[in-house]
Amino acid sequence: MTSFLQILLVGVALATFLAPGPATAQDAIKVGIVLPLTGDQAKFGEIEKLSFYLALEEINAAGGIKGKKLQFLFADDTGNPEVGRTVMEKLIKKDKVVMLGGGYASAVTYAMAGVAQQNRIPFLINTGSADVITEKGYDYIFRLNPTVSDYTSGLESFLTAVVKPKNVVILHESSLFGAEGAKAFKNTCEKLGIKVLMVEGYEGWFRAFDFQPLLMRVKQANPDLVYMISYLRDATLLMQLAREMKLTPKLFVGGAAGFTLPEFAQEAGKAAEKVISVTLWHQSLPIPGAREYFDKFKATYQRDTEYHGAEAYAAAYVMTDVLKRAKSLAPEDIKQALKETDMQTVFGPVKFVSYGKMTNQNRLNTYVVQWQEGKLRLIWPADLAQAKYVYPVDWLKEWGFK
Amino acid sequence: MKRNQVISAIIAVVFIILPLVVTSDYYRHLAILALMWVVIGGSWNLLAGYTGQISFGHAIFFGTGAYTAGILADKLGTSAWLGMALGGFTAVLAGLVIGFICFRLRGPYFALATIAAGEICRLIAVNWESLTNGMVGVLLIQTFRSKLPYYYVALALAAASLLVFNLVMKSKWGFYFVSIREDQDAAESLGINAALYKNLSLAISAFFTGTAGAFYMNYMAFIDPEVVFSLPYISIMAILVAIIGGVATIWGPAVGALIMVGIQETFRSAIFGLAPKWVSQSHALVFGLMVIFVILYLANGVVGDWPKIKRLVVRSR
Amino acid sequence: MTVFFQTLVSGILIGGIYALIGMGMTLIMGVMGIINLAHGQLMMVAMYITFVAYTFFHLDPYLSLFVAMPCLFFLGVAIQKFLLNPLMEVETIIPQNQVLMTVGIAIVLTEIARFIFSSTYRSVTTSYTGKVFFLGGISFNVAMTVAFLFAVTLTIVLFWFLLKTDLGRSIRATAQDKEAAILMGVNSRRITIITYGLGAALVASAGSLLIPIFYLFPDIGRPFTTKAFVITILGGMGSTVGAIFGGLTLGIAESMGATYIGMSYKEMVGLIIFLLVLIFLPGGLKRLTKV
Repeated sequence: MTSFLQILLVGVALATFLAPGPATAQDAIKVGIVLPLTGDQAKFGEIEKLSFYLALEEINAAGGIKGKKLQFLFADDTGNPEVGRTVMEKLIKKDKVVMLGGGYASAVTYAMAGVAQQNRIPFLINTGSADVITEKGYDYIFRLNPTVSDYTSGLESFLTAVVKPKNVVILHESSLFGAEGAKAFKNTCEKLGIKVLMVEGYEGWFRAFDFQPLLMRVKQANPDLVYMISYLRDATLLMQLAREMKLTPKLFVGGAAGFTLPEFAQEAGKAAEKVISVTLWHQSLPIPGAREYFDKFKATYQRDTEYHGAEAYAAAYVMTDVLKRAKSLAPEDIKQALKETDMQTVFGPVKFVSYGKMTNQNRLNTYVVQWQEGKLRLIWPADLAQAKYVYPVDWLKEWGFK
Repeated sequence: MKRNQVISAIIAVVFIILPLVVTSDYYRHLAILALMWVVIGGSWNLLAGYTGQISFGHAIFFGTGAYTAGILADKLGTSAWLGMALGGFTAVLAGLVIGFICFRLRGPYFALATIAAGEICRLIAVNWESLTNGMVGVLLIQTFRSKLPYYYVALALAAASLLVFNLVMKSKWGFYFVSIREDQDAAESLGINAALYKNLSLAISAFFTGTAGAFYMNYMAFIDPEVVFSLPYISIMAILVAIIGGVATIWGPAVGALIMVGIQETFRSAIFGLAPKWVSQSHALVFGLMVIFVILYLANGVVGDWPKIKRLVVRSR
Repeated sequence: MTVFFQTLVSGILIGGIYALIGMGMTLIMGVMGIINLAHGQLMMVAMYITFVAYTFFHLDPYLSLFVAMPCLFFLGVAIQKFLLNPLMEVETIIPQNQVLMTVGIAIVLTEIARFIFSSTYRSVTTSYTGKVFFLGGISFNVAMTVAFLFAVTLTIVLFWFLLKTDLGRSIRATAQDKEAAILMGVNSRRITIITYGLGAALVASAGSLLIPIFYLFPDIGRPFTTKAFVITILGGMGSTVGAIFGGLTLGIAESMGATYIGMSYKEMVGLIIFLLVLIFLPGGLKRLTKV
């Protein structure tokens, strides 16, 4: 009797496997966009999704692509590489998207790049920045944004010309993005002759009390510069606690990511004031369309945008350009069109080049911004600056202790 | 005996033909996962169901196997298939270390120690970045684009594991395993070297789990510590597969694997797209509810409680 | 030296909360003889209750204590009565099926929370969130310090309950020797139900106290479940005094590990101590003190 049961159950299981999946419609050009829409990094995903959506409406209002409408299928990677790979797989296999976009956290983007390459579907990354993503020689992977080791290129001249720090402490979240960024900045400091006193990675960012002993150690080390690579919550907590603990180096510098998000200033309040951050973009830059994008975003959604949004908005236009130029919607033709890209976007010029170990990587300058009176202002390079940098800073006064 | 062989042959033929009939990549993928869980569930069953050592740490072996394959391919550039051949052996090594530590303890303490050991392995994989790439994980490109080769590798692995478990349980070893489960002190007083046979059971169990892990690396082409050393989704899943199918039966875990993967994926795809989207978001909830249901009403699994199920069905008619 | 004391203070403060979590677990473990792998998830539920009370009714998290604790007490009672006690009669080959049941409960609680609140990170920002005061050059986190004082108070109340009331004595008796307690006329079924409820209420209080410090998301329960049983084994199963020492030991060890080995090794320190205790000191710290 048991064996009858076995066959029955095998049959049931087979029926489960054999049952048909849902059908898909086919009238617009479908592009899959994978972003963190829930979970820890949802704030970044949100600003990018809104920007993608803003661009999509404009693109379709202007006639779409070759007479067809462009359609973005948004999928949520929840900040988890495994989930990211599953949704990529689904977009490719079930939804039959012609190309892929998005990619926020580096570790997730890296894992997803493998799926795109495996299935030979072009993937245009617009945020995931760890160097390794474009170092694997994957020919279907293209990246719009600079790599994390290039993040501080704009900061270097600011340090040598203005701050001239003797030593630095580097704190970073210990995922791929933070770890690679910390390594790159450490090398930069050594090159510039700045002594690196301490490099500490943390992962338990949701446990504020763990930052207290850490910041006490920083206080004892008494560095000129504290460089932090953090997402939103940890950036907020680190600065709030630094204020509470009266940790006063000459300068706090953030390595983009959490430090440029409007939510950082809202949540950290006074503690965000005069904090400097690296950025990849600013609306005041002399890039055609940059200011228009910023204003339109603000008018549409009643909130500010920053470089993550610009990356997404630019990526939508690169995709449109590529799909218009591609001979057909076959992956090889789209890949070829991506390779031949040479255009101007709100994020800057886009052209995918190979250099060193990198393949299909767009190279761009980076900049320095400072939070002044709750606004993110471009302060460096000096010839592009929108506002004069504030340095040196009297932290106790900024923080309202005096 | 003869009838059993006929049935086994029929099942084998069905599984060999299956992917030729089912051409959708998605359903082939599910079949591959199910076969992988046949191996893991059976392995857990050998150690826990038959030998009575309730392990909450099978992710240790799965992860060790997966990382063996991944690191060999990523750092040394060897074929990941070499890793698959070696993954089982490194898992056995890990198993011997775990056995050395945890077999000093009995019953619930053993279970606790395996949870802790599993968590420690996960943290080692997170922190030993030069070897494991830490949280970033190991990323490879699959050898084959088609699912077919993977299906047959998984099928061969599942068949081999079932054969070995069957042979072991029919041998003298199997008898010793069960006697240790029933009463370790009594078994020892009869001259059975309990430590030796517990380690033996653990080694076989670890070997197949590790090989399954290495297969997972090859097939999924991406692992990170949270995936392969996961307490809920590997260690606990292994237990559930065995329990739902039927603990201490040869076919139980195999049936359990088909049921578990089948149900999980049915809900993940929101019952083939017929149900609203929130159903697919709650597939983990369904998984949890199923655990509770099975433990409450089918504690010996579908195979073990078959008479009970039959009675219920017959009566309700 | 400041860094050392800073680390010690941080460790002791969180250790106080850990003790609260551990005491709930150790009661359940002592009376039922099982590990409750849903312990952290119960705390997560309490945190969501506190979060909802704060967001919709502007109830201070410390006042929510008096809402979350009874809620979780009844949730615990229901779990024990309808899910765990029935398993005592079921004949199975696996003796640990109550443990597996708690795993199932843990998954269900987590997923219900995800279903209602999504995976988004929530926080309760009170006037004292992120505030710090200094004492002799050492910074004390206000919320942590308040939480620690609450934890101490609750511990004292619990001890009074266990030592001075009939019900408390019955629980202790059952924890020490179940058979003997039954012979002495203790209704063990009722005791297990009350104990699980009590354990759940204790971990609920920890949840309410932690919410001004932690971000809240459905998966936050799992690391605390691990911590809870580490503490319980450290302290010795069923020993409430042991749980206090276990909690403090874990808190200090994690904090020291973070400062002197590296922040990412913090969790490992706790687990290694745990394994060492399990191997070399089975029975936990209780064995050393004979409390």
